[in-house]
Amino acid sequence: MGLVEFGLLLLSFAVPIVVVLISLPRFLGFLTKKGWTADDAHKSPPTKVPEPAGPMLFLAALAGEVVVAIGFSSWIPVAVVIGAAVAFVVGLADDLFVLGGRTKPLLLLLAGVAFVGVVAIIPGLYQPVITFPILGDTAPHFIIYTLLAVVAFPVVSNAFNMMDAFNGEISWFTLLSSLALLAGVSVHAAYSSGFSMARVGSTLPLVAVSAGFLLFNRYPSKAFDGDSGSLMFGAMFAGLAITGGVEIAAIIAIVPAVLNSFYTLSSVRGFVERRRMPSRPTYIGSDGQLYPSTEPDAPNTLVRLVLLTGALSEKDLVRNLIYLTIVACLFSVATSILTWVI
Amino acid sequence: MKVKLAPLFGIEAVAFLLIIAETYLFFNFVVPLGPIPHSLTQYTGLALLKLLLILALVAVWFVVMIGLTRVYVREKVRNAPRPSS
Repeated sequence: MGLVEFGLLLLSFAVPIVVVLISLPRFLGFLTKKGWTADDAHKSPPTKVPEPAGPMLFLAALAGEVVVAIGFSSWIPVAVVIGAAVAFVVGLADDLFVLGGRTKPLLLLLAGVAFVGVVAIIPGLYQPVITFPILGDTAPHFIIYTLLAVVAFPVVSNAFNMMDAFNGEISWFTLLSSLALLAGVSVHAAYSSGFSMARVGSTLPLVAVSAGFLLFNRYPSKAFDGDSGSLMFGAMFAGLAITGGVEIAAIIAIVPAVLNSFYTLSSVRGFVERRRMPSRPTYIGSDGQLYPSTEPDAPNTLVRLVLLTGALSEKDLVRNLIYLTIVACLFSVATSILTWVI
Repeated sequence: MKVKLAPLFGIEAVAFLLIIAETYLFFNFVVPLGPIPHSLTQYTGLALLKLLLILALVAVWFVVMIGLTRVYVREKVRNAPRPSS
């Protein structure tokens, strides 16, 4: 890697984080002034937090990807941003109008369609093969791979969205999983000939935006991203995993979110908007601690499973969720090493 | 605190191993399965067989994860924490 490439990578990290740090406080002030706030439901009594910060997070990610696109003369960031933009618009519509439990995943399919649409115009942005740890590449299967790529967008975006319930949860989760993704793509780049550094660079804006947002979203939150932020994070993650050729490692990094979605969907039996769930998976006790619901129809979320080990404060609960994410990310890095190094 | 999470770390590890094993089976056995079909009947039959095998792989993941979760919840819910008041 040359000095120019290193400088460009540094810039693709620095630009989005600076955009977040400078613009977000003003944007949060604007949201508060307009009365666009949400109840922080896990505080007693609930406090008001500005929401959605998603538009500014999207602009920051866009700025970073523009740096990569121009600096590396690559179309990869364009495909990633287009997929993320569609998810962002769907999320913003959900923030403003509240979409149905089934409408949202269906609309998110458009993010996948837009992403593969760019690939249809500019071929070679991804390889239709999956590389397995130790076992190596599968044969190319363009149609099956493309269908899986389209479906990946709503699945991953919704999984990220479901990890957005507590102070700092989504920002920590996105930061850790995107770092695992960055590690995977970097190892892929280091051990593969002809691998474009633009694929590594495209990952950095997601790391930078989530790191910057963490400063505002950590306990006690001063900002919520809204569905526009969490769905955009998920769509970016899916696009980057595909263009980086690290699909298996990426799935493993987000296993806590996959399990959380699976538990929720299987226990409420289908796509149900969270505001319309029959009962809450957790509740706040008179001592301010979070307790698992003991109602039989309570959704079996990952949070409820964690709380079954003991009542926790919101801060400690998120810390436990971070531990689970760290373990998954370590599995993911091990998968990347087994795939590309050994 | 981290010791209490050990069963959930275990469930994560099982999910991780199953994802790797099942994706390998899908791409290396299910997708290239069978000879090149020469008639519409053969083509339809092969497609349906592949679909059934894919559903079976998905079902295995679901059954294992549901089973593990039920065991975990059953063990934990008996001693589920409740507010003292």
